[in-house]
Formats: sequence, C-alpha cells, structure tokens
Amino acid sequence: MTTFSVTPEATQAAIVAALGDKVQRTSVALGEVDVVVSADDYHAAVLILRDAPGCKFEQLIDLCGVDYSEYKGGTYEGPRFCVVLQLLSVSLNQRLRLKVFATDDAMPMVVSVTDVWAAADWYEREAFDLFGIMFDGHSDLRRILTDYGFIGHPFRKDFPTSGYVEMRYDAEQARVVYQPVTIEAREITPRIIRENNYGGLK
Amino acid sequence: MIEGVLNEGFVTTSYDSVMNWARTGSVWPMTFGLACCAVEMMHSATARYDLARFGAEVFRASPRQSDLMIVAGTLTNKMAPAFRKVYDQMSEPRRVISMGSCANGGGYYHYSYSVVRGCDRIVPVDVYVPGCPPTAEALIYGIMQLQLKIRRTETIARA
Repeated sequence: MTTFSVTPEATQAAIVAALGDKVQRTSVALGEVDVVVSADDYHAAVLILRDAPGCKFEQLIDLCGVDYSEYKGGTYEGPRFCVVLQLLSVSLNQRLRLKVFATDDAMPMVVSVTDVWAAADWYEREAFDLFGIMFDGHSDLRRILTDYGFIGHPFRKDFPTSGYVEMRYDAEQARVVYQPVTIEAREITPRIIRENNYGGLK
Repeated sequence: MIEGVLNEGFVTTSYDSVMNWARTGSVWPMTFGLACCAVEMMHSATARYDLARFGAEVFRASPRQSDLMIVAGTLTNKMAPAFRKVYDQMSEPRRVISMGSCANGGGYYHYSYSVVRGCDRIVPVDVYVPGCPPTAEALIYGIMQLQLKIRRTETIARA
C-alpha cells in the first residue's frame, strides 16, 4: 500500500480551489491527480498552478503529445490531439498530470508554456516534431529528432511504421539519397500459447 | 631467399608478405559507437578482453588516422550522411566491421521509418558480427577474421 505524505485528494482539492471553473474534468486514479483544462484557459491555468499557494508546481517534469484518433478502437469521439504535462511541486511534495486538448484537429495549436517553464522548450519541439502540434509563442519551433527535411509526423496513428522513404548510398551521385520505401509492411499478431493452469492460473 | 645473406643478419621475403604482416598487426579502429553496441566495443578494448593482444588497440577519434571502422549500433537516416562522409575521409586501405543486428540489417528497427536497414546500404562491409549486442569476445573474433582477410590480400596485383 502506497503511503502519501500529501494525499492526492488534498492536492486535487487545492488545485480545484485555485483553478475554479477552469477545471473541465478532474480525477484521482492510482494515486495520481489528473486535471483537464480547455485550450483557451491553458496559459492562465499553468500560471496559477505554478504560483498559487496550494499548488506551487515549480517544475515541469515532462510535456508530450497524444494522438487519440484510434483510442478505444476508434469509438472515441472528441478532439484528436492532446498535450499532457507532468508537473511536480518540490516545495509541497505533490504531483499533477495536466491535459489540454487542441481544438482544431486539422491544425492542432495550443499556447506555448516556455515562458512559464523553460524546460518546455525542447519538449514542445518534440511534440511538434512527432505529432505536428503547434505551440503558439514558441521562439524556435523546429524539428528536434527526425531527419533534416523529414516530411510527416511519425507518432500520428496514420503514419505508417516503415514511413514513406528509405536511405541508401548512390554511387553515381556519390552521396546518400532517399528513395521510396521498398519493404512490405508486416502484420504482427502476437500469439500466446500456454498450457492450462500455467503459472498456477485457475 | 638470397643465398648467404641470412648469415649477415638479413632475411629476405616478398614485399606483399611484409606489407600484409604490418597491416594485420596494426589495425587502428575508428571510434564509431552509435548505440549500446559501443559499450561492448569499449569492453573489448579494456583490460579484461584487451584487444591490444591481437594488434588492434589504438582507437582513433579521427577517420584520417584509422584503417578500420567498427559500426557499433543503430544507423539512423539522420546519421547516414555523416557516416558516409566519415567513411570517405578514411584513407585506403580501409575496412568496415558491421557490429550487431542493427548495423547488419536494421535488426530490431528493420521496419522503422528512421533507421537504415543495414549499414551495407551506405558503405561496403568486410565482416558482419552478429548479436544484440555481440559480446566483446564476438567482436574480437570478428576483428581476427578481418585480420585473416587482410593477410590474404594481394597488395601488388599480378597480371
């Protein structure tokens, strides 16, 4: 049994009190506090979360994108792209997962939080690179991981695993060139074969 | 063998043999660690495995000073142009060992959008060392195979 010096419920109550009606949805699951805010309230909300007395989330642990397009087998109805922030308050010893959904699926855009936490800089570049989520107000929104001149956003669910291009050396041009991908996509269906009562299962 | 010179402290042999003997015993590998295989490559050079015993001890940080490139790890699309450039900067005779599954054929990342499916798509490879990652012993064995290959080389082509 996990013991908490600050219970998640107390953290949640303090956050809800500080954010007020900016909270769209909130829950406590597996001892972790989850809060959803709207894209319009996002920047005001993170400022409150950083500065309000009961919140004090001084530190951004992680920021990433999520593509919900195939969530729950495609039955999910709602905004496609989400930005998830993991926040930590060292002074109050509490954590928070903050989610904000981008309103436009075709051109997902949320406000940058680099002015609130400098650590968001490269995380936002990563989310832009892999999911194509734009961060308004980011000073240097370039790709960070994929190749120079890469086309597409590989962590989107509609991006094929093997991509569209592959690389080889061209002896005539004496340089490395891109060519259309030559391998077939592979369907991997894991099969689990185990005898009855495996590992003492009933 | 020229008659009589051995008594005066000389040995005669063919130029080929001396050349290949020298090249076999002083393979200078280029430090080209790309991923976890690089750790095994480092192990092979340290005291326990001691690659120096086989005459391949001096890892160089410059391609211009080395005659072997050990491709240790996953070669990504983004790295491939730099990899080819480094290979082009090596002076002849140059050789390449592909170390580990990723360098051999993409390995675990064969179906990925960002990984070259084998470093032999970018440069010619002399020896493939299998494993994920190969042990330091396996890499040393690969280097010894390369040494056998070097020893068999005919430096001076005969008509």
